[in-house]
Amino acid sequence: MVSNNRERINAKVSNSTEHGVNFTIDLVAENALLLSWQAKISLTQHNEIIALQAMITQQLGELIIETVASYHCLMVYYCPQLSSSLQVIDKINRVAKNASHKNSNGDEQDNNPNNKLAHQAAHEHCIKIPVYYDREQEWDLADVAKRCNMSMDEVIKQHSAHTYHGYALGFTPGFCYLASLPESLQLPRKSSPRIKVPKGAVAIAEQQSAIYPIESPGGWHIIGQTPLPMYESHHGQFNASIQVGQNVQFYAISKAEFLALEQGLAE
Amino acid sequence: MKQNFLEIITMNGQASIQDLGRLNAQHLGFSASGAADEFAFLSANQLIANKLSIKPVHSIAKTNNKLANDAAIEITLGQISFKANAACTIAITGADCQAKINNVTINNWQCHQLLAGDIIDFAMPKTQLHSYLTILGGFTCQTAQQPWLGSLAQTVNEMALGFTGEALRVGSKLYFSTKNQPLAEATLTQQTQLASLKANRPTTAPALFYPQQKLTLRVMPSRLFLQMSSAQQQQFLTTEYVISPDSNRMGYRLQVKPPQTSSPSPDKKILTQPLRSQCLLSMPVTYGMVQFPENEQPIILMKERQTMGGYPVLGTVMQTDLFRLSQMRPGAEVAFTLITYPQAQQQLRAFYQKLY
Repeated sequence: MVSNNRERINAKVSNSTEHGVNFTIDLVAENALLLSWQAKISLTQHNEIIALQAMITQQLGELIIETVASYHCLMVYYCPQLSSSLQVIDKINRVAKNASHKNSNGDEQDNNPNNKLAHQAAHEHCIKIPVYYDREQEWDLADVAKRCNMSMDEVIKQHSAHTYHGYALGFTPGFCYLASLPESLQLPRKSSPRIKVPKGAVAIAEQQSAIYPIESPGGWHIIGQTPLPMYESHHGQFNASIQVGQNVQFYAISKAEFLALEQGLAE
Repeated sequence: MKQNFLEIITMNGQASIQDLGRLNAQHLGFSASGAADEFAFLSANQLIANKLSIKPVHSIAKTNNKLANDAAIEITLGQISFKANAACTIAITGADCQAKINNVTINNWQCHQLLAGDIIDFAMPKTQLHSYLTILGGFTCQTAQQPWLGSLAQTVNEMALGFTGEALRVGSKLYFSTKNQPLAEATLTQQTQLASLKANRPTTAPALFYPQQKLTLRVMPSRLFLQMSSAQQQQFLTTEYVISPDSNRMGYRLQVKPPQTSSPSPDKKILTQPLRSQCLLSMPVTYGMVQFPENEQPIILMKERQTMGGYPVLGTVMQTDLFRLSQMRPGAEVAFTLITYPQAQQQLRAFYQKLY
């Protein structure tokens, strides 16, 4: 029964790879389309996604309610009262084709030396995050060490030796997806997510690491906690401490340092 | 202008301010949030509009500042009472909490007049979860509360940010929004005259909207689902699930219903490891997506869902079924069946035509 209906219900509605556009478009809800690139973590691909996101937002105007980008996907929420999904798909494809055409003719912005410098500066700046890697608590450091076949010290050493890049902001306000985690630390998510993960929890899953900005549910392995806030807000503005495109490093602190920093921030 | 309000005088359940949600701040990581059951929420605002003979002004592209989107109090499992400090017309819908005004039982799915000093009391409902209490212009939980990023909706996981007021508790004052205050506080005589012109009924009967028995959720299949074998698809579609006690406004967790007979349940996995391994990277998620963690107990993403998720997604439950699901309690049985995207879009369009 299912396979007979396959044509009619097929979610895959567009595959544009032959036009120099590297993504597919799927309907995923009554009002949402998902653009998917190759499932990989790649800076080049990520830049392409962010650029297309900006163009869709700019060129399709009030048709678009919201766009959310990640490593290899772009969710586009549109207004179904204003346009059919097929029309929106068509418009997105046209935006993408124009963009890829412009790129093949040489992108002016990339040749501007000032932009290049600003780009470099943003990438070289590295946010340092203090982490209390907790060996005593009920969290997952011991379990991660066991599953990765190394000591807890080695997990800490490897996690903090690496530089990470911010690929997406989401899940909860200020939660920035950082990649890539060293291969030796890569584990699948927990088979069932925790109902509550504490604020500041430093966690890993698959190729990613991240910090939970507020208490929330979560399915990643918690290896430590930072006293630093992951956002600041004043005058109705919301700023994430780690933004997409920034670099991040972790460094180990003791429990006493954690408590002192936490107290210092609270005052 | 004088600020009028309802004050919470007793509270044993949960309550929050909700509208149609914060739809365009998901890129910052904010939950879309919003009323769990849009049928009951929109019906409440429609009752108020009908009662006061107000024609809603629609701007379809922009969901803000619409009468249909006026913020209501979402009451979960009743057990709350309010005192009015000024006369006002309210509407109540959703789970039937045997509401009383000054100890006199009143009808659900209707408008009611409150006078200054009146007390309205909600008991625990016998069935369903969420009830809505609304007023013309809507409620805010602080005197000069402005919508935060387009919405007044409160999200449990974001209360610490402080953008949408405090979590509701005894002593909280729910202010009448100032945008329609003169009408909201129209004198009793004026309102009674208006009321006589209008039927005091929602346009769609609640009895027809909510399922009487088991709910079969209509799901739009994901690309991943279409890659599964027919046998695996069938296994998913024939499995009976029970709503887990861990369910909330964020997500509904389902458990495989224990088999009635002693025959062993198939221990074959629905999602094979090769397909599962395609879904390692977190990606944006939306309302109604059916996540499928390794334990194969589905999680359906509801209004207070996160914006990103990392579990494989088998499909998306159509929105009008999600409104129904949001009223179902842990222990209730659900199953899945397929629906096409155009069919689901048509259902939603028809829904909004009636209630917007």
